[in-house]
Amino acid sequence: MGVLRHGYADHGSRPMTAHRSFAARADIEAIIAERGAQRIDVPVLQPADPFLDTAGEELRRRIFVTQSETGGVLCLRPEFTIPVCLAHLARNGEPARHGYVGTVFRQRRAGPSEFLQAGIEDIGETDRMAADARSIGDAGTMLARLGVPAERLRLVVGDQTVFDAVLAALGLPAGWRLRLAHAFGSDAALEATLERLAHPAPMPDLPAPIAAPALAGDARALEDAIQADLDASGLGGAGGRGAAEIAERLLAKVQSARMTPDPAGLDMLRAFLAIRVPLGEAADALGAMQRRTGLGIGEAVEAFAARAAAIADAGALPPTVEYRASFGRRLDYYTGLVFEMRGADDEVLAGGGRYDRLLTLLGAPAPIPGVGFSIWLDRVARASGETP
Amino acid sequence: MTATLALPSKGRLKEEALAVLAGAGFDVVPPADSRAYKARVAGRDDIEVAFLSASEIARELGAGTIAAGVTGEDLVREGLADSERRLVRAAQLGFGHADVVVAVPEAWHDVDTMADLGEVAAGFRGRHGRRLRIATKYWRLTQRHFSQEHGIQLYRIIESLGATEGAPAAGQADIIVDITSTGSTLRANRLKVLDDGVILRSQACLFTRKGDVPPVIGALVGALCEG
Repeated sequence: MGVLRHGYADHGSRPMTAHRSFAARADIEAIIAERGAQRIDVPVLQPADPFLDTAGEELRRRIFVTQSETGGVLCLRPEFTIPVCLAHLARNGEPARHGYVGTVFRQRRAGPSEFLQAGIEDIGETDRMAADARSIGDAGTMLARLGVPAERLRLVVGDQTVFDAVLAALGLPAGWRLRLAHAFGSDAALEATLERLAHPAPMPDLPAPIAAPALAGDARALEDAIQADLDASGLGGAGGRGAAEIAERLLAKVQSARMTPDPAGLDMLRAFLAIRVPLGEAADALGAMQRRTGLGIGEAVEAFAARAAAIADAGALPPTVEYRASFGRRLDYYTGLVFEMRGADDEVLAGGGRYDRLLTLLGAPAPIPGVGFSIWLDRVARASGETP
Repeated sequence: MTATLALPSKGRLKEEALAVLAGAGFDVVPPADSRAYKARVAGRDDIEVAFLSASEIARELGAGTIAAGVTGEDLVREGLADSERRLVRAAQLGFGHADVVVAVPEAWHDVDTMADLGEVAAGFRGRHGRRLRIATKYWRLTQRHFSQEHGIQLYRIIESLGATEGAPAAGQADIIVDITSTGSTLRANRLKVLDDGVILRSQACLFTRKGDVPPVIGALVGALCEG
């Protein structure tokens, strides 16, 4: 699309001016309308809590925080998905595809701290498969219209539901599953967790009144003993973790300390996580693994195959579409498909995924499905300036 | 050219800093007016002593207004972004010992390590509808220990500027990150330090700015390290 491509390409890495940002916005608005999405505007100044609650405290270092006169903590929006979801909820919205373009703000040691982003959040569509495929198609089309044709992109796809299904089918203890699920999305964290699980867990060192019921597996007596401790600490009515929760986890720890690690199960998990194939071959690869290992992941694999087929029909797809079993995003509201479109130098130009848990976390009374993507327009401007 | 050395302006930190300096041959001459915040060193006119609050010293070192300062390492690591890159810990002075630690209720018998805590944090919102809350005044150290060293992202910090040990019982937070020297306050509040929960073993240190160290400060560092 003319303005963005020519507007930036001639100027190399010079920072955007307000004028050029404005021109790009007009361009994007036209694309959003062509894709049949509705334009949405959300305030630049947002409550900080939803971002910190969903992304975690680490985000605080990377956002611009300020305070309202009444003491509320506000921030400059660091991304669009959460503000768009909040706006959708505030409207008691019917299902809608919300298209946006605007500035997001991130603290960085060097370089600019504001970036132009555009994207589409598809909220409330219950035909998840169609919505997933359309989201990828929208992202690819938008990039192409902004001057980065599909031939210059690589699409990487992951799927949280398959990972969850493998964990469930392996029959790992609940604590292990939680740790692995939490590490999903970071190869280093996953490897460290797998390494730890390969060694026997130590038996917890417990004071006598706790050790006796814990080792005997007497849940009720253990709960009572822990409750007595909580009460003595003044924590009995403080909210937070209760005796039942602590007892349950302690019994699980005692159980894993007695259990020899299951190397076969961990090997299966490693073999699964190592799968990196073209998306067209992914369903077969997963099916082959299922037959080889006998893992009960048939349903997840079938759903995956159907989704992969829908994505293949989405159009505007890059020539290389790779499925990586270990590819995920380390935010606990992503629930299914995740994807990234990368440019020539492996820079992420667009990223997105399905976040069926997010709207409930943000206060929706009942679950609302959502899928969406964001495009980094300043990176797109650089990438579109390159000659193929 | 006079170099400015900042010392804590009151309390035991001040007294012990003066004693250590005297032992290294740097006798700080008390100002004529005991309320004054500037002093000189006997027999040297290339150094000036400024008495500042211990937490301001970290900030002034970062801003480059002083050449060197004596203060607690915890205050420097917490108060100054990138302190490892910008400052040099020229000498550990052997007083003002205190550890910055992660402490959880003793009744959490299932939690001994950061890995346990990570597991609890990961499942916390599912169970309680909110994130695990940490009361602390050490935002930076907490984030670094939890997020960068242990990969734990899912928690919220509740700012606590005093009586942090009481936050769990008061229902303000689930766990704390705080400073402890003997552990007695933690025990009194029935909190325990995690096995790998020591974030920083802090003591009073002489910090200098990386790069340009005035000769007199170099001499001071040399004398402190020999003593």
